[in-house]
Formats: sequence, structure tokens, C-alpha cells
Amino acid sequence: MKWVAAKSGFDEVFGRGQSPRPHYASLISILESFTLEDVARRERLQRLALMNQGITFTVYGEKEGLERIFPFDFVPRIIPAPEWKQIQDGLVQRITALNLFLLDIYGDQKCLHDKVIPPELVLSRKEYKRELRGVAPPRKIFTHVVGTDIIRDGKGRYLVLEDNCRVPSGVSYVLENRTLLNRVFPEFFASYPVRPIKDYPSLLLDTLLHSAPRASQSPVTVVLSPGIHNSAYFEHSYLAREMGVDLVEGRDLLVEGNRVFMRRTHGKRQVDVIYRRVDDDFVDPLTFRRDSMLGVPGLLNVYREGNVVLANAPGAGVADDKSVYAFMPALIKYYLGEEPLLPQVPTYLGASRDDLRYITEHAHELVVKTTGDAGGYGMLMGPFASKKETEAYVAQVKKNPGNYIAQPLVDLSSHPTHVDGRFEPRRIDLRPFILYGDRIRVLPGGLTRVALRPGSYVVNSSQGGGSKDTWVLAPREP
Amino acid sequence: MILSRVADGLYWMGRYLERAENTVRLLLVAEELATEVFGLDEDVARSEWHDLADIFPGPALPERATRHVAGLAAHSLQALTFSAAHPNSVYFSLKRARDNARGVREALTVEVFVNLNETYRELEEAAKRRLVDTPTFRSVLGGTQRGILATVGSIEHTLTRQPGWLFLRLGESMERLYRTAAVLRVKLPALIVPEPKVDLPLLHTRWRSLLRGLSSFEAFRQSYGARLEPLDVLHFLLFDGQAPRSLRYGTTAVKEYLDRLSTGGSPSAPARLMGRLFAELTYQSDEVIRGSRYIPFLEHVLEEVTKTHEALSTQYFGT
Repeated sequence: MKWVAAKSGFDEVFGRGQSPRPHYASLISILESFTLEDVARRERLQRLALMNQGITFTVYGEKEGLERIFPFDFVPRIIPAPEWKQIQDGLVQRITALNLFLLDIYGDQKCLHDKVIPPELVLSRKEYKRELRGVAPPRKIFTHVVGTDIIRDGKGRYLVLEDNCRVPSGVSYVLENRTLLNRVFPEFFASYPVRPIKDYPSLLLDTLLHSAPRASQSPVTVVLSPGIHNSAYFEHSYLAREMGVDLVEGRDLLVEGNRVFMRRTHGKRQVDVIYRRVDDDFVDPLTFRRDSMLGVPGLLNVYREGNVVLANAPGAGVADDKSVYAFMPALIKYYLGEEPLLPQVPTYLGASRDDLRYITEHAHELVVKTTGDAGGYGMLMGPFASKKETEAYVAQVKKNPGNYIAQPLVDLSSHPTHVDGRFEPRRIDLRPFILYGDRIRVLPGGLTRVALRPGSYVVNSSQGGGSKDTWVLAPREP
Repeated sequence: MILSRVADGLYWMGRYLERAENTVRLLLVAEELATEVFGLDEDVARSEWHDLADIFPGPALPERATRHVAGLAAHSLQALTFSAAHPNSVYFSLKRARDNARGVREALTVEVFVNLNETYRELEEAAKRRLVDTPTFRSVLGGTQRGILATVGSIEHTLTRQPGWLFLRLGESMERLYRTAAVLRVKLPALIVPEPKVDLPLLHTRWRSLLRGLSSFEAFRQSYGARLEPLDVLHFLLFDGQAPRSLRYGTTAVKEYLDRLSTGGSPSAPARLMGRLFAELTYQSDEVIRGSRYIPFLEHVLEEVTKTHEALSTQYFGT
């Protein structure tokens, strides 16, 4: 077997002197016991399993109905217990603060009066739903499910890159990757205390039911999906199946007498909790987007009346805005009186005059992003862009600076990834999933995305990314 | 009880699966008969393909290419197997079955979906290759048929007997009933003829082929022995109470599923329609046989099945 260590950035597996870090030593020796033919044969099995099980996603902008498998790399990413503890504690702290922030800006707006964050920066965002000012969601929980993206810098420090508070996706791959790896390379698991993750669907259901309004009367939960053409449809269907609840589309729901019902073959049935996998703007055409066919007219009113739970709560999206992100350390301090346990990437705001000057002058060294977009769309990778591309992008930024932020390029950590019989370094990130029910729980694992193109920093599935099984190790017995 | 949209998806998944299997089977049987009789009676070979086009209507074949039976056969095989534009091709039906399955996947099991998905993908792969000869075609169609039967098997073995399963079976039974009636309606005029005028062994071959096209040949032989008496065949395919593809059996199945879906003690509108048809097939068969009123009766059956489809769509799918 040929192993190549990373030339730049932090290498997850190989420490100084090219020897594997202790928690990877067993894995490497197991892998070394395979021949290249074994590996190739196992990989074929794996691809076939993915295709036949229809574990696919849809790519936008290509021919309709084009399904792709999400490439899976069988070399697992291993996170030792002490590292995970820092991540977990940091995320619990962060999600606590995020929810207090949301409660505040839709309530008394103390953080705005106290100038912790510039009011216009929050109130001008389209994700801030002024219609919902004064409406606290049941149990004051805004973000039932968050997927926070974490990266490691050159020294191996874990940094928060962004929070996804709207409809974070990827957890189905986390669960399926474990099944798949177990099927294809069962030998890997023998010498590691890997923490189980398969109870996620039942934890998710408990989380959703915790907020249900008719708690005593066996409340009805559904997953709301935009439908089969959505790129994450597989996941919507998967989670509905795993939780044992109905998967609905907007047209399956109707509002009557300030209650939500689903249309069924033998009459309608009231719905109490909607795990919605559609964006705010498509939830209710009467309130947000009149041109949307996806939503349920009148749903927002039912929510306001407290007769249905929407998870995540409408309006929560403003918390993952990339310019709000810049203020997260300050907000954690403001609400909790604590230092952030997980650091984050320094961020320059297009909305601030000084920062804007820095961004326009240093665009070639920075990663510049729009505040609203996700999925790796609409960003400039300064260090890799041509002069012309950079200039054109900067011109866009100047037209509407408030919509942009910039960050220094963080040299993501790399992880050996199987490429044609060799193990080469490819950059990775980590998206743990955090559930907020009776308390905040972090699923011990997460989606490790891999930039499969050599040298690439872009891990998004829509742009040539793949994924790995992610192992969080249980603490060793003393 | 389930979502109307899910019930609709399952019903159509059942219909398309059954339709795909019917198309495969009838293609295999037609191809075999046409090949066998081509030297003996070219018109019979030709009519096999024309009948198929009447049973599974689709875009017209290019006239020049089909002047000769060989061209007609090749074009028909290709179109009814692989064409994405032909609304009754095996590919089209399987794709629709799979699209519906994807849309209601949470109501299915992994076994059902994986079997269907594999079958679809194998056919899709075959469509990309050039199938050089008829044996290759036969083997592809044979593989598809096994895949469909595996899917149907996993439906039977893994789904709980709740409304979702009932709607799948309802779709399957409706399609089977409709298609059997359509096959008989198209085939019988050429088969019910005064005997002395025709080549008897050839006529028997065609009756046998009709039975095989409805997967009923072996079943018939087990009931009636090897002797092919047209009246027996007709009785078997229309009025037999046990043969799984007879019209009476099909109507019984549809009626049963509709009864199980009816609530509140009285039969639903679609259940009433099927109940009446069931009574005709069970208690009034003599009138059809004595008056040799097969063709008008088959037309009546097709009409009633269509009405039932409309009634159940209104009742359960809100469409």
C-alpha cells in the first residue's frame, strides 16, 4: 500500500516523521493486510450497494432527474474522545447562545439595544422575519436540529466555520456510511471502541415531540419535503421511514380552523409537529412567498397560535447568517458570560467600512462569500482566482457590500483517501448534528466531507465532494 | 389510514409493475409465436405484432421499416422494450413504477425498493448496449421479468397488510383485470372462427399462445388436460374462479381490496361497481356463453374497470 502524507495543512493521520498518530495505527496495519485486488473488489461492492439502494442525491442545473451517488471513501475518520469532548462542549455552548440570541431578537432585542451586534445587520437580513416578532416558539426552542461545520487549521485546532440553522442536511449519509463501512470492511471495527450513532432517528423524534403542543394525546409528527426533485429528497424520505412518521409535501397538508391536517384516504388527520425540510420562504405562501407552490397557505397562523410546532422554527435562519457569525464569540460572552470553547475563523464584514476596504484590497488572499448562499455557491476563492475573476467579484461586492463577508483561507486538514490503489491526502471538514430537545445533544459522529479533487478546498456534494464514516471513540476505561 | 398522495403513488406503482410484467410476457410470447409461424403463415406472424400494438398502444412505427415482418418484429421489440416515448414500453412502465416508489419510499421496505431499483437499472444498462440478436433480447426480458417477480415477492413478504399494501395490490389487480380483458378483446375476433375453414394445428397454436400470453397455459392444462377446446379456454380465462388471471378472479380480487378499504358498513362507489361486475361474471356467465356475446361483454368489462378506476381515484386520491 502506498501512503502519501499532506504537503500543507494538518494531516489527520500522519504526524511528524510520517508515522501514524496513535489512534490511527491499528487501522493502518489492518489496511496494510489487504491486497490491492481485495480493496478494488470491496470498493466495487460498495458502489453497487449505493446504486441499488438508491442512496443518491440530485444535482441542480443538470438534466432533470439526474441522480448521483454521493461518493464514499472507506478510510474512516477517527476522532479520539478528548478531542470530541471539546467539540461537544463547544457546540452545546454555541447552540445555547444561538437560541438565546434568536429569542432575544424576536423578543426584547436587548442585544441590539446593548450594541453587541449592529441592529441593521440583523434586522435588514431577509432571514429575519419581522412578522414573527413577539412569537416565542414552544419551549423557546428555535433550532431543534443544527449542523455546524467545523474545520481544522494548520495546527490541528478545531474551528467553527458556519452554523446551519435552517434545514441542515447530511445526517442520512452519516448513518448510511456506518452501515456501508460495516458491510464492506467489517475488519476495521474490531480494535476500536466506536460510539454508536444509529439511535439518531429516535432521538430526533423525541426532540421533536418534546415541543409538541398536545403532549398528552399522542401527537402526530410529519416530515415536510419539497418533493422528489429536491436534492435531499433521499434524506427526507429516509428520516420519515426511520422515525416511522409520514412524509408529506405541501399539497398533502391543509389548514382549517387554525389547525393543520393531512389529507388521507379516509378523511383528514391533525398534525402537531412538522419537521420541515423546506426553507422559511416556502413554508406559507400567504405570509412569505406568494409565488410558492410548495407551502401550506395559512400554516404560519397556526404556528403563531401555538397549534403546530415547526422545526426548526421559522425565522431561525438569521442565526446562521454569515455576518451574524462574525459576532458569535461576542454573543456567547453576552448571553452566557463564558469564553467560546470552540474558536472560529476571523471574519471581515462587507457592512463595515474598514473591513470593506480590507476586503477589496486583499481579495486575492481571502475567501469572499455571500451571506445568504450555501452549498459552496457564489463564493470567491481569492488565492486560486485569476486577477480578472477577482476584479469582477470585487466589483459585485462594492455594489452591495452588506451581502458579503470575507475570511482568510484556512488550510483545511487532510485525510488519506483511497484513489486508484494509493492513499492520498484530501481536504476534509466535519458537520456534527446537534439536537435540542429536553437538553442539547450532539450526535457522536458527523458528516466528514472530502474534497475529492486533489488540492481542492471545496467539500460540497454538489461540487465534487464525497464523504467518510466518522468515528468518535469512547473514552478508554481508566 | 394513509396520505392520499401516498395511496395514489402506491396504486400507480402497483399498476405500472403489473403493466411492465404484462408487456414483457406478451412480448416474449408474441416474438416466439411470430418466429415459429413466419415460414408457415406470414400473416399470422404479422398479426401477432399488430395485436400487440393494439393491446399496448403507442406511437406508430415508421411504415417503411415495417413493410417486412422482420423489420416489424425488430422495431416492435425495440419500441415496446426500451422506448422512453412509448407509454406502454417495459422501460416506461418500470421507470414510472420506480418514480412512484421513490415518491412513497417511506411506505415501502428496503427489499421492495432495492429489487425494483436493480431491475430498472439493469434494463437501463441494457438499453445503452446494442442488443444484436433475439436471444440477447430474450435474456434481457427474462431478467426483467424475474426482477419484477422478485419485487412482487418482496411486496408480499415484507409489507404489513395495511392500507398501503392494499393500494399496491389494488393497482396490480386493476391493471391485470384491465389488461386481460384488453388482450381477449384484441385476440378473440381472429380466434373465434368456424372451424373447417382454418388450419387447425395453427389455430391451436394461437390459442395456446393466448393462454401463455396470459400466463395461464400450464394452469389451464392442469384443469382441463392437454386437449385445447376453445370454449374451455374461454370459460377458463373469463369465468374460472381459481385461475389468477381470469376476469372473474381479477374482479373478485379488486372487489375484496375495495371492500377492505370501505368504512362505515356500506360499500364505497368503486366497490359497488366492482360488486356488480363480480355478480355478472359469477352468476350470468351462461348468458354470455350461450349467446356467444364475448366481444360486447369484454367491451362492457373494459368500461366498468375504467369507471371503477375513476371512482376510486375520486374516493381516495382526491384527484
